[in-house]
Amino acid sequence: MTPILEARGLVQQYATGRSLFGKPPSMRAVDGVDLAVREGEILGIVGESGSGKSTLGRMLLGLETPFAGEVRWRGQPMPAPRTDMWRRLRAQMQLIFQDPLAALDRRMTIAAQIAEPLEIHGLMKGAEAAERVAELMARVGLRPDQADRYPHELSGGQRQRVVISRALAMRPKFLVCDEPVSALDVSIQAQVVNLLRDLQEQEGLTMVFISHDLKVVHNICNRVAVMYLGRVVEEGPSGEVFGDPRHPYTRALVSSIPKAGRGLTDRIILQGEPPNPAMRPPGCAFHPRCAIADAACAGEIPELSGHRGRLTACLKQRAIIPATAA
Amino acid sequence: MAFVSIRDLKVSFDGVQVLHGIGLDIGRGEAVGLVGESGCGKSVTWLAALSLLPAKARISGSVRIDGQELIGAPGPEIEKVRGARIAMIFQDPSSSLNPVQRVGKQIMESLRLHRGLKGAMARTEAIRLMNMVGIPSAETRVDLYPHEFSGGQCQRIMIAMALAGQPDLLIADEPTTALDATIQAQILDLLSTIRRETGMAMVFISHDLGAVSAVCDRAAVMYAGKIVESNEITALFAAPRHPYTVGLLDAIPELDVTRARLQPIKGTVPDPKYLPTGCAFAPRCTHATDFCTTDQPELKRQPDSGLLACFHPAGRYKTETLTRREELV
Repeated sequence: MTPILEARGLVQQYATGRSLFGKPPSMRAVDGVDLAVREGEILGIVGESGSGKSTLGRMLLGLETPFAGEVRWRGQPMPAPRTDMWRRLRAQMQLIFQDPLAALDRRMTIAAQIAEPLEIHGLMKGAEAAERVAELMARVGLRPDQADRYPHELSGGQRQRVVISRALAMRPKFLVCDEPVSALDVSIQAQVVNLLRDLQEQEGLTMVFISHDLKVVHNICNRVAVMYLGRVVEEGPSGEVFGDPRHPYTRALVSSIPKAGRGLTDRIILQGEPPNPAMRPPGCAFHPRCAIADAACAGEIPELSGHRGRLTACLKQRAIIPATAA
Repeated sequence: MAFVSIRDLKVSFDGVQVLHGIGLDIGRGEAVGLVGESGCGKSVTWLAALSLLPAKARISGSVRIDGQELIGAPGPEIEKVRGARIAMIFQDPSSSLNPVQRVGKQIMESLRLHRGLKGAMARTEAIRLMNMVGIPSAETRVDLYPHEFSGGQCQRIMIAMALAGQPDLLIADEPTTALDATIQAQILDLLSTIRRETGMAMVFISHDLGAVSAVCDRAAVMYAGKIVESNEITALFAAPRHPYTVGLLDAIPELDVTRARLQPIKGTVPDPKYLPTGCAFAPRCTHATDFCTTDQPELKRQPDSGLLACFHPAGRYKTETLTRREELV
């Protein structure tokens, strides 16, 4: 089956600071990512701040032009930004942000905001548009009487529903959700997570779900990719990755999640600082914080490849094969 | 007698009551968690206790530390408690630190105010504190500015500042919420190590039940300005009684179970301006009866353990022995 969206060797780098002479120093936010999103699945991207997950999401949508590599939509390369083709494609791909209040216009009623994409893309107007807005609001669980409210009159969870219904207005095939529930309270978070799962199951939406919350990702995603300093270090079905993490970073990440009713026992506490993409360590970027790293890890960047039936980017995974076979 | 005891603490802003009589005791060296969603009054409780609320807040009730009343106490009295006996750290470390002052100077300010240390002695002590909270090469980094540290390190510096006054009680208000998962684990570890070493008491305010259970002995669950349930950590998680506590636990996805649909609590937190007349949770509660919409349950001591404010508590015990015990009650 051809993936709906495919990324090949994606690299994004930004210039940091200025220098009078010569090239300004640059920082790689995303450093060679291959990723395939299959139709109808929810792919989770997890990682800490600065790992490049949001940048990756924006490149998948064509909102940022990659420095190197390409994104293919249904086997075709992405059209150049701001062309007609690109606009038509953009209608099928939508983005949901973390902070709904920042994503909404404070001076527009929510009905007007949900109708806006329909007008921009010239799909429908007037009564027809109003009907579609009512249908969308009902779909995400907003009451009809809330149509004339302004964003500040709604709660955080309701605002996120408005953002989701606006993204659904164009009947998209593909959604990138960038930390969509991180700003919400636990009880409301569960409502929005269930809504996104319904959309996948009932409308066959394909999603990329970016989050640092492993528990939510495990619940909502079919597959996950774990990122560390701009590279995918482990990828696989979410049950396997969280149930039996292989990469030392994923292991630390999974064990660092405080579990209700369990104390601080059996946790891998990572030493050292969170990664700084501007000062990428040589070799495996994780080696300065890794408990099992040795000299070889500083010299070679491990590729994401199959070890023991799983995709990991770790030199030590190779070594384990003979060890377990023996 | 409890070291800190809060009795019937009420706070209102512009006529809107946000705290409806909080009662809480904290023993010496004890770690207590305060859990609840945004706006339930977890932070306001302690801001009120330390007179850190804006002047328009109307506060009544009693907060005593070693018998000394804090509510309505004159400014200089409160200042002797703040920082020296009760210290507080906040969610966003980078906005709590002064960006144009060297971190060492900020820690030394705290040392001068609370312990009268000056000059070289203060500097040595500041470096010792930075070492204690796990800042590598503190000797050279004491003269750096906050922006030269990462978020997790800024939180460590905040903790060092809080420890400068050798407080008996540390209020940690969502100290790990803004941090990455692996850094969050480091800070939780640091807080429990410090507590073990110094023997200070701690109040850990968080919406993250997992984090609370990792560092606390006991936790109180708050909803709409009231404590609805409190118990020892293990009992609270193994056998939650209040439907809201049950709902909160059910709403959190777990890593080691199958991907079942989440059980959200329906509806939203009530507007403090228009609180329901009965139990504030009644409109969202699956157990609620007509009685719950007219009468407010009081927080009462339960026969087995803990405190509970509910007319129709959940009897969801996980072990058989406990079920039998409930039948006896």
